[in-house]
Amino acid sequence: MRHYLFMRVATALPTLLGMSFVAFAIVALAPGDPVMQELRAMGVVPKPEDILAIKAQYGLDKPFFPRYFDWLTRALTFDFGNSIASGRSVIDEILIHLPATLALALSALAGAIVFSLALGVAAISAGRSVGAGLRGFTILLVSIPSFWLALLLIYFFVFQLGWARMVGDGSLGDLILPALTLSLGAGASLGRVVFERVRAEMCEDHIRLAIAKGLSPAVILFRHITPRIIGPLATAWANTFGALLGGAVIVESIFGWPGLGQLILQAISQRDFPVIQAYLVFMGLVFFATSLAADITVILSDPQLRREVSNG
Amino acid sequence: MDDIVKKSHRLPVLRLPIRAGRVGLVLGLCMLAGFAALGLAGYVFTLPPPDSMDLLARLSGPSADHLLGTDHLGRDLLARISFAVHISLGAALAAMAAILAISLPWGIVAGLSGGRVDSVMMRLADIIMAFPMLVLALAIIGFMGASLQASILGVAAAWWPSNARLVRALVLAAKERDFVHAARLCGASRVRVVLRHILPQILPPLAVIISLETASVLLALSSLSFLGIGAQAPTPEWGAMLNEARPFFMQAPHMLLVPGLAVTLAVLAFNLVGEGLRDILDHREPYQW
Repeated sequence: MRHYLFMRVATALPTLLGMSFVAFAIVALAPGDPVMQELRAMGVVPKPEDILAIKAQYGLDKPFFPRYFDWLTRALTFDFGNSIASGRSVIDEILIHLPATLALALSALAGAIVFSLALGVAAISAGRSVGAGLRGFTILLVSIPSFWLALLLIYFFVFQLGWARMVGDGSLGDLILPALTLSLGAGASLGRVVFERVRAEMCEDHIRLAIAKGLSPAVILFRHITPRIIGPLATAWANTFGALLGGAVIVESIFGWPGLGQLILQAISQRDFPVIQAYLVFMGLVFFATSLAADITVILSDPQLRREVSNG
Repeated sequence: MDDIVKKSHRLPVLRLPIRAGRVGLVLGLCMLAGFAALGLAGYVFTLPPPDSMDLLARLSGPSADHLLGTDHLGRDLLARISFAVHISLGAALAAMAAILAISLPWGIVAGLSGGRVDSVMMRLADIIMAFPMLVLALAIIGFMGASLQASILGVAAAWWPSNARLVRALVLAAKERDFVHAARLCGASRVRVVLRHILPQILPPLAVIISLETASVLLALSSLSFLGIGAQAPTPEWGAMLNEARPFFMQAPHMLLVPGLAVTLAVLAFNLVGEGLRDILDHREPYQW
């Protein structure tokens, strides 16, 4: 297992390197001169020698690849420079906001998983018409944009029922509505995955045998189907987590949840390149770790793969 | 009985009894036709221009003059969502075209060549897929500056690798069919094999993917416009209209309902068509307990 883990991380190194290259290249190839922008931000009318001095200070006078390696060595120590807009260290800004976004995405994922399992199992065990109705309902839920769902939830829960408040202070109670918004849509699309997977298993001969043996639906579902779909579901959960990290931006901006979404939207409007770059790298890393965890779950849940891995 | 089976092989669509998926497909197609009609409404009926303001009728609800009411500047909402059909759906279709323009050749070349070319191409796609899709789109918009064009490019750049993977998987299955091998052995050129034997096989499942992906692209683009980093303010675009409506939440709920319903129904239409097509292509029968 340890050998497998080592190999898995080793083969991921090119991907990680490629990711860092993408994050760097987007900035390096972006239109607009960061030096001029910084000077303008400082309110200075630049002289040509000032420009050259600043370019030398940031290493911008060097060719593309040496600059990339400079940036990479600094990025490996999580040094992304300073924000152009606020002048503060980018890594500090990211670390302040990252926990709130992770808390939102994780609680939304937990909600989505519970919701999707309930939906999927209900759609499978219900009769034809109810099952079709449930599937229609999930398609509808998937189609509702999260920003509109958020506004509708605010309308009902904040203004009509008064169960929640609009302006929060980032406490746990304020997490409920944003997490609910995200988990309804994500849960519906995961529910479809659950349904599809269970349905695919039910076309297999071993299920036919189990039915013929007279096993009860619950036993078939938990003993014969669940172990086979845990792996694919873990992959789907990891992908959903990635989607939630992105979707968090939308919901955070509506509910005023103090996560990375606020930071990145501000950075986009101010063209604060170091912040956007660090955001891209961090979200990539979090998503990468999630996919790795999912891969390991796939291995652990499949006896054949498990044996192969422990022998090889 | 034999006769029926033979016939049904020729026309797989007609064999199926009325099922939920087919109802959904018809419903989705009707809704798409409805949106096309809404988009053309401006040419048939006299609607006020989407930017003309009627300041005396600000924030008014539905009335005979303004069938869906007006917004905070007194602009007619029906005219605006009708005009937004061109922009919102046009942007989604443009993004989808860009995604296909990259992913289709990418997936076909990778799937057919195999070996080292395949693994390098898939590795490159994996690198892009290692970022959450919306996050990558946000970053690209950040570096290009907020505009509808930037959001289309950002979404296309973030969405194509997963499509390329799906196309490759379809091609891998399609190229193993006996008649493809036969065509190869007969000396058919690569182009001919792709156009005559591979593309027709992957088109039906590809239609499902395209329809579902258009729905997700439409969602992403309208979300970006809602965040103020896609289509910009005076442009009638569903997401941007919702963003403008936010301060008038309580006074004029219709300002929220109209564009929100428009996005939801458009996304729903594409999802229904995609799911309906998938249902028709799906020939498995699960064992019932």
